[in-house]
This record gives sequence, C-alpha cells and structure tokens, in this order.
Amino acid sequence: MTKLKSRGSILKFYSWIPLFVLFISVMNEFDFNYLNLKYFSFNFPFILIFFFTLKDFKNFDYILVFIAGLINDTVVGLPLGISSLSYLLICIATSYFRNITIRPNPIKDWFYFLFIISLINSINYSILTLFFSFSLVLMNYIVNTFFTFLFYIIFVSIFKYYLKGLND
Amino acid sequence: MASSRDDFIIAIRSAFLKKSTQQKFSLLTLVSASIFVVLLSSLDFRAVRLLKMGINEFIYRSSFVISIPENFIKQTFIDVVEYTTFHKKYKKDKEELNELRSSNISSEIIQYENKELKELINDYVSSSDKILAKIIVDHDSPFLKSIIINKGSKDNIKIGTNVYDQAYLVGRVIEVNYKTSRVLLLSDLNSNVPVTIAPQNIQAIITGSGDNFGQVKYIKDGLSQKFSEKSIVYTSGTGAIFKSGIPIGILKAADKDAENKVYVEFYSDFSQLKYVFAEVVTKKEIQNSDNNSSVDAENKNPMDAKLKILEDEIKIIEDSNSRFKQENENLKSEINDLNNEISKIEGQILSQKNIINQFNIDKQELKFLRLNLIHGHKCRKTFLNTKGYIVGTSDYKDCVLSKE
Repeated sequence: MTKLKSRGSILKFYSWIPLFVLFISVMNEFDFNYLNLKYFSFNFPFILIFFFTLKDFKNFDYILVFIAGLINDTVVGLPLGISSLSYLLICIATSYFRNITIRPNPIKDWFYFLFIISLINSINYSILTLFFSFSLVLMNYIVNTFFTFLFYIIFVSIFKYYLKGLND
Repeated sequence: MASSRDDFIIAIRSAFLKKSTQQKFSLLTLVSASIFVVLLSSLDFRAVRLLKMGINEFIYRSSFVISIPENFIKQTFIDVVEYTTFHKKYKKDKEELNELRSSNISSEIIQYENKELKELINDYVSSSDKILAKIIVDHDSPFLKSIIINKGSKDNIKIGTNVYDQAYLVGRVIEVNYKTSRVLLLSDLNSNVPVTIAPQNIQAIITGSGDNFGQVKYIKDGLSQKFSEKSIVYTSGTGAIFKSGIPIGILKAADKDAENKVYVEFYSDFSQLKYVFAEVVTKKEIQNSDNNSSVDAENKNPMDAKLKILEDEIKIIEDSNSRFKQENENLKSEINDLNNEISKIEGQILSQKNIINQFNIDKQELKFLRLNLIHGHKCRKTFLNTKGYIVGTSDYKDCVLSKE
C-alpha cells in the first residue's frame, strides 16, 4: 500500500516537471548567454509552451503560463504583461492548430512553430519600440527566432521521451 | 468557400473560448488580463508601482536562488577560461600595477586640489558614500543589459544613482525597490551618457550598442577625425545625470566597413561583475566662519596631506629604483652564464661535426671494399680485359663504385 502511495506521488511529481522547468527557465533565463557567442540566444519557454500546449498536456494550466510570463517580464526588465501576452498567443495558436489538425505531423508542427514565434517576436518588437520607446536590435530578435526554431526539434525529441516515460 | 470560413471561425472560437476540464480560465480572459497588465504597467500609478515593487522584491530573490546552479556552471566556465590565460595575465597585471601605483599618487594630489577648488567655487560640498552592493541577478540578456543589486530605497538608493565597478562607471539605477534595484548598464541601447574625450577635449554622448562596447554619438562632423586610438573617455557631468570625471573607457579602432563610427571599449567588463559600488550623494552647506584659526587648520591639513603623499611617492620611487638595480645585476649574471653555455655548445658542435665526417669517409671506404669484392675483376686490367685499370688508381676506384 505504502509502495503504491509513493509510486503515485512520484508519478504526480513527474507529471508536474514541465511546469517546474518552465518556472525555473523564466527565473533563470536558461539560454547559455555566458558563452558570449555573438547574437546567440534562444527562447526556451517558447519551445516548452508550444510543445506541451500542442499536446494538450493536462497539467499545463494557462493561468500558470500567464504567471510565468509575468515572472519573465520582471526578471528581464520588460514592461509587465508582454511575455504573458506572447505565451498566451502561443497557447491560442496551438489550440487553433490542434483543432484544425486531423493527422499530426512533426515537420508541419516545426514550421508552424517558426511562423508563430516569428509573428510573436514581431508583435513583441513592435509593442516595445512603438509604445514603450525601447531601443532594440532587430538582428537579435531574428537570430533568437532562428535558434529557437533550430533547437525546437532537439527539445521536442527530449519531451517526447519524457511523455513516453509518463505513459509507460 | 463559406464552409471553410465557418470552419476557421469555429476553430478560432474554440481556441479562444473553450476551456478544457483542467483549465480554470479561458484564453480570451487571460489575453485580456495580460493586455490590461501591459496598459497598467505603462501608466505610472502609485498603487501599481508599489505592487510592482513587492513583486520585484519577491521574484528577484527567488531568481537569485534558482540561478545558483547556472551561476555555478557559468563561474566554472569562466574560471577554466581564466586559468588558461592566467600566467600571461599575471605578468601583464604586475607591470600595470607598478605603473598604476605611481600614477595613483599623482591622481590623489589632483583629487585633493580638485576638491579644494570646488569648495572655493561652490557654497556646498557634495560628499558621497559608496556602498558595496552584491549583484543578485545578472542574466546578460541579449535584448536588455541590466543587473539587479541587493540595495534599495532602504539604503538611500534613488533613481539615477551612479553605480561603479571600483572607480569605473558601470551604469545608473533605473528602478528602485525596498531592498533591491535595477541598474541599466552603459552597454544597453537605451543608455546615453554625456562624456568628454581627452586629450582632444571633445564633448559627446556615448550610447550602448547592446554589445560589450559603446558608441560615440552626437559629435560635430569632422571632429571624429581628431580622435586618436587610446583617447580616454570620461563623464562630462552635463545634464547632472552622472558626476563629472568618472572614467568610462578608451576609444577603440572602428571597423573598416563602418565609417564614421567610433566605439568605446569600457574599462569594466560587465559580464564579470560580482559586486559594485552605488554612490549615495548628500550635499552639505559650507559654514563660513570668521575664525582664522579654523581656516589655518583647514589650510594646514591639506598641506600636511600633500606632503605625506609626496613623501610616499618618493618612497615608492626609491623602492622601485632599488628593485630595478637588483634586477639589472641579476640580468648581467644571467647573460654571462648564457655566454659560457653558448661557447660550450659551439665546442660540442665542432667535435660532433668531425665525428660525422670521419664516419662518412669510413662508410665510403666500406662501400668500395664491398663492391671491389663483387665487381673488382671487371675493372682490373688483365690480358683479356685491356679496357680495365691498374689496381689502386682513382680510375679503378671510380669504375668499381660505378658498378653498383
């Protein structure tokens, strides 16, 4: 009985891992910036949110995604609500994509992801420069989008492995 | 056509409004909430500001704790890189330290004189206390260059407080919470600092480039040609945003493709900051007193201080002189030792050359003897072989060797 209980709590913890990782990544800005590679950066929360909301993962609550966005804004120093909006736009996009997709295809997902993050980064850039008069380097956004797109396929294979473990 | 449009509308409506069983709010509600938050954060209400300060305090501390493992990896990576260049850097630093020690003495004198002159010009003295602050969050974001320090309004930090790395300017405070503050680094695109470029004495503004260097902007056309590499850039104090005379960096050679662009290499490496100094400035009125004795005492103190500094300077110069003499002696003896070694090695080389020559001769002789045994009869002059040569002659030897 005790064994079953402990197994249940481990499973519960295991199923919450994506959210823990999301919160850690927004607080930590996990992006290898210290490597000092020129322009190199990628947006890990975008990949995580896109994948798990596309899969309609049961513990990925939208309100928690919203809070994660607020935390990210505070840590990075952006006006509050910008990242939340970006993250929720990803959720809308994945929800729409899920509704119109009959046969899921990883390559289609990947290019749809590129389209979505390009759109969201454009919206972000526009809001920050037009409404908040921030000076930003557009090249940084383009490179960030590109690397996020590239890293998507790597992280997706890890996440799939995780989901497989959860189903087993 | 109409049906595909309907499908699209249904899919969009479903995406916005449909709540799954585990979702507490629909996406439309949350998107509206985030737009509302964006609008609120753009308006500077007191209640919003206080709420934001509270959130900041909590999240900065949490971020500091959560960043510990990544910071450890980052520090290890930096340490490994540093160790590889450690010895070179050590030698360079040692030389620089000696130079700096002597220049520090003269700068102290100048500072003292500067203070005296300021006291004469103004009716107040701005005394400043530099408080040490620890950097609790530094993510080196590619978009915004800022750091969070563990000092806030509780420690008299205000918006605009200058922040230093030792004596070098790092940036200024742009957001103050109760026990934390956000510092906008000079490298950020939104940072503008009025500066003077010495020795040309040109006024300009340095803006961040988003990278680890700044760019000189807003200077008259043609003045940029006057710049020489290694010109020093320091704050001019114009606009009273930054104090005057704070060193920032040196001019850097511009890229060939980027004409008319002048860059500044900052003295401080913003990616390596651990602790910084925040300068809390307080203004004190000077009390004019007629008491001559107190004036004498004030005059006496600066003189004493100057004399003490000069004495120190002499002491340092004498020390360095004696050190140079000692080093000179050491070098002379080293040169003598090296000369002796060179002559020894030359002798060795000569004897080795002789051995090699002898060896070559022996080798040639052996070859001849071997071939002579095999082909000697073909080269020897006999009754039947009239074309041969007499044994022992050089022609005979050549003939034998040619048979190989």
